[in-house]
Amino acid sequence: MSDWPMAVRAEQFLYEYAACLDEERFDTWVAMFNPIDCAYEVQSRENRDLGLPLPIMGCYTHGMIHDRVAMLAKGVLTFRRYHLLRQVSNVRVRRIDAGSLLVNAGLVVHQSSEEGVPSLYMVARYEARLIDSGEAFLISRMAVVVDSFGIDTMLAVPL
Amino acid sequence: MKEAGGAGTQWPRGDFSRVPYDVFTDESIYRLENERIFRGPVWNYLCHEIELPQTGDFVTTWAGETHVVTTRAGDGSLHAFENSCAHRGAKLITAVRGNSQRITCPYHLWTYTLKGDLTGVPLAQGINGRGGMPECFDKKDHGLNKLRVATHGGLIFGTFSDEAPPLEQYLGPHSISQIDRLLVQRKPKVLGYLRQRIPGNWKLYNENVRDPYHGSLLHQFQVSFGLQQPTMRGGIKLDQDLKNTWNHSILSAQDKDNQKLVAQAYEGTDKFNPDMKMADPALTQVPLDLGDGYKTTILSIFPTLIVAQVDNTYAIRHLRPKGPGMVELHITYLGFETDTPQQTHDKMLTANFIGPAGYISLEDGEALRLVQDGISHRRPGGHEVLEMGGVGPIEDTDYLSQEISIRGFWSFYHRIMDLPAVQDKGATR
Repeated sequence: MSDWPMAVRAEQFLYEYAACLDEERFDTWVAMFNPIDCAYEVQSRENRDLGLPLPIMGCYTHGMIHDRVAMLAKGVLTFRRYHLLRQVSNVRVRRIDAGSLLVNAGLVVHQSSEEGVPSLYMVARYEARLIDSGEAFLISRMAVVVDSFGIDTMLAVPL
Repeated sequence: MKEAGGAGTQWPRGDFSRVPYDVFTDESIYRLENERIFRGPVWNYLCHEIELPQTGDFVTTWAGETHVVTTRAGDGSLHAFENSCAHRGAKLITAVRGNSQRITCPYHLWTYTLKGDLTGVPLAQGINGRGGMPECFDKKDHGLNKLRVATHGGLIFGTFSDEAPPLEQYLGPHSISQIDRLLVQRKPKVLGYLRQRIPGNWKLYNENVRDPYHGSLLHQFQVSFGLQQPTMRGGIKLDQDLKNTWNHSILSAQDKDNQKLVAQAYEGTDKFNPDMKMADPALTQVPLDLGDGYKTTILSIFPTLIVAQVDNTYAIRHLRPKGPGMVELHITYLGFETDTPQQTHDKMLTANFIGPAGYISLEDGEALRLVQDGISHRRPGGHEVLEMGGVGPIEDTDYLSQEISIRGFWSFYHRIMDLPAVQDKGATR
């Protein structure tokens, strides 16, 4: 049970990650990634099962992760402005070594239109590798594996 | 007398610079399209030969509303048939792709060869002389509903019609040279698939890919980071039926000095961001594999195939209509057998340009959604206005600010759908 506080901290970290995206606090989201070495990928279940490398969204440096959301914030991209709510569930945490852990979780994203009509947007799973400094976490790898890979209209805001 | 609305709607102009919005929303037109286009004298794209390397490999896809299985048989030949049992109609194959030496219906185990011929009917003789099939039943009469199959450059096409012209003639010379350029001179390999369900009519996407006018306006990313500019050189080429379009753009060194012209092009909008910088511009710096200078080439083949090079991405896009108000865009993203590890890595970077999350293409999903939503909620009887680039004759252009290729699509669509004559006999070509 000695890892119990670590597991709770990791779960809270994932909730905060989801809330940053829901609330479009993009700078905070970017700062959750390890600036030295990090990667972020959204992968379809279809490609993953076929062993094909193509991501739906792929960022392989901190700068690329920054750019992904900078385009949204600066109005470069025209995209559907729905309210999104990310529901994170079944969080499981496993320590790999003293400094890092794996976190897996389920993700359901609900969307609500400009006129307040809700629908299901996305069904996916988080597979994250976190660096644990003892006080805070940084993401070194984040893969979001999407079961609902027939993407509704578009994917503009990261998952 | 033709009914008003639906397939009876009048097309006001013979140069197809007006398109009735009914064609995007009307259920009866949608049903007619399935009969006259997808089951009519067209070649439907099915899949690529690299997806069927071995005997027994199969891929399922859609030709309009018809679910189709494509297979490779033991003698290497390719076959396609409807994914529905000849007995009671059950769907035969539920997997998207796989390998099987025969096709067996899960319901009563009727079994077919990879060519779609019926070979097995369990209990055909009955039990102890009782039951079974009648003597007049001949398995030869109960094969699967087959499509005629033809290939070019590895692309596999199928048709339900005996009247479809030979494939090469249907494609036309521009399509053939572009397929050879993109898919034949190097052997492609599949790097992955992308799927996007866009709440818009399948023909809106056909308009979108025949519309270089929007490229540098909707897609600010391309302009902000120098991938595309309205000042670029480019143009369109049409086939003899006006149904297939090749549009292309070439970015030259001169375009980098054209910022002033670009600023003028965006006058009155709040869009252009000349000072926007990327923290990591690596994906915009990937060199083009092909040394021919083309920055974007979009080959659109009627009714549902697009072979596209966008910067250094190579992809086969296929449209799968799902009712008048929805289309699945299915993308097969390609690398090449000769790619170095660096080139494969680069293609993972540039994948961020395309697909449902593409910096360039995600906006097309949004544009189609907005058009479908807009035309579904306005007064009846409206139509599109397609006058950019000029009205009248539908011809090749050497400029990009045009909608002429969209009018080419509609002229063929109108003909193959056998819709009422247009009111004014404006020149076509």
